Amino acid sequence: MNQNSNAAFADLGPDEIQALAGEYVLGTLSLAERQAVAAQLATHGALRAAVDAWERRFLPLTSLAEPVAPSRHLWQRVERSLDSLSALLKTAGPAVKKKAIPWWRDWQSLPLWQALTAGGFAAAAVLASVLVFQVAALKPDTRYMVVLVAPQDKSPGWVMQTSTAKHIELIPLGQFEVPADKALELWTKADGWNAPISLGLVTPGKRLNVSLEQIPGLQANQLFELTLEPSTGSPTGRPTGPIHFIGRSVQVL
Amino acid sequence: MPVPLSEFDYEAALLACAAGQRSAMQQLYEQESARLLGVVRRIVRDSALAEDIVHDACVSIWTRAASFDPARGSARGWIYSVTRNLALNAQRDGQRQADIPEETVQALGDQASLVAWQEVIHSSQWEDSAARVGHCLGELEPVRRDCILYAYVDGLSQKEIAERVTAPLGTVKAWIKRSLAALRECMS
Repeated sequence: MNQNSNAAFADLGPDEIQALAGEYVLGTLSLAERQAVAAQLATHGALRAAVDAWERRFLPLTSLAEPVAPSRHLWQRVERSLDSLSALLKTAGPAVKKKAIPWWRDWQSLPLWQALTAGGFAAAAVLASVLVFQVAALKPDTRYMVVLVAPQDKSPGWVMQTSTAKHIELIPLGQFEVPADKALELWTKADGWNAPISLGLVTPGKRLNVSLEQIPGLQANQLFELTLEPSTGSPTGRPTGPIHFIGRSVQVL
Repeated sequence: MPVPLSEFDYEAALLACAAGQRSAMQQLYEQESARLLGVVRRIVRDSALAEDIVHDACVSIWTRAASFDPARGSARGWIYSVTRNLALNAQRDGQRQADIPEETVQALGDQASLVAWQEVIHSSQWEDSAARVGHCLGELEPVRRDCILYAYVDGLSQKEIAERVTAPLGTVKAWIKRSLAALRECMS
């Protein structure tokens, strides 16, 4: 998936890149096209430069929208969310011993998960209570949140949340270095699936919007993992490298 | 109360947010939330959803402040980019086709938007960049300029724009492509 879209973007000429970037910033691309462009921004320098230039050109037009005073409660809501976020970051639990074998081979028995379910759930629930992004008014679908923590010290590194009825977004909570010849790959597996499914490569510090159409489903207690893989992704279609972050989905609201 | 744009140091605010200073986020909120909400509300056309998106944008700005790169653009531009992207993603998702309020349609009629905007740019400190895009938009045929403003300011899809200006979808797509090329040329 990733390689195909890379190739498609690599074929674009300078004018096509400008046109695509212009429409991206203007907002006339479809959601799928928007996400394809967004996914390329981290690695496609020319596209990123073109998007940045269009953002600068059009920014003054934002002043055409009349300011609207927010309701008095909005800042309090933001504050509560930030409080919960920082509480979660502070209360990262004690160390959990890391397993030497690839996690997916051993995943029926990995004690790590039990620890995560116990420790991670409370943290996730706190975060979920406020960090759930309020699309509920429009979309009654069940929503989920995942807090991905480092296996060693259980410090949260990423949050995932269903951003819309059809997408789940992976949001970085910090910057992480990966070796130049390596990449982080996102995987998921629900109970009853035979094997984990790749959701693509992840750029450290960058958010990733994952279409739920890529996977058979999303349910409570579904496993999400970031593993360290070769820069082009796992050669086998299964996780091969060590786990960097791990978490399970929690149903919210 | 918001201070003039030129007197607020957006970059310093983001740096302070990255360092975990909550007061910086609050100042940024007080400075920009009404304008952000205005921008988002025009795009998503729903007051409650617009507040949700501004909330999400604030959390996102706070969480990602460390990833802001001044080499790529202004701090204020970054804040709007984060916020508009959330709004556009919400608007492009699903089949919602909220009705556009009549006053919006009227406001976008002929040159009304540009006139309103002239007032804005004369009262702010960034006439240069604003005047440039304003001048270049003014060079476009009115209907093509409307397409650009419908898209950027009102978040309309190309299909919605085609309905609004009563032109075939293919024509609107071609207009937008050519207008973007013309704007880039004019502003270079």
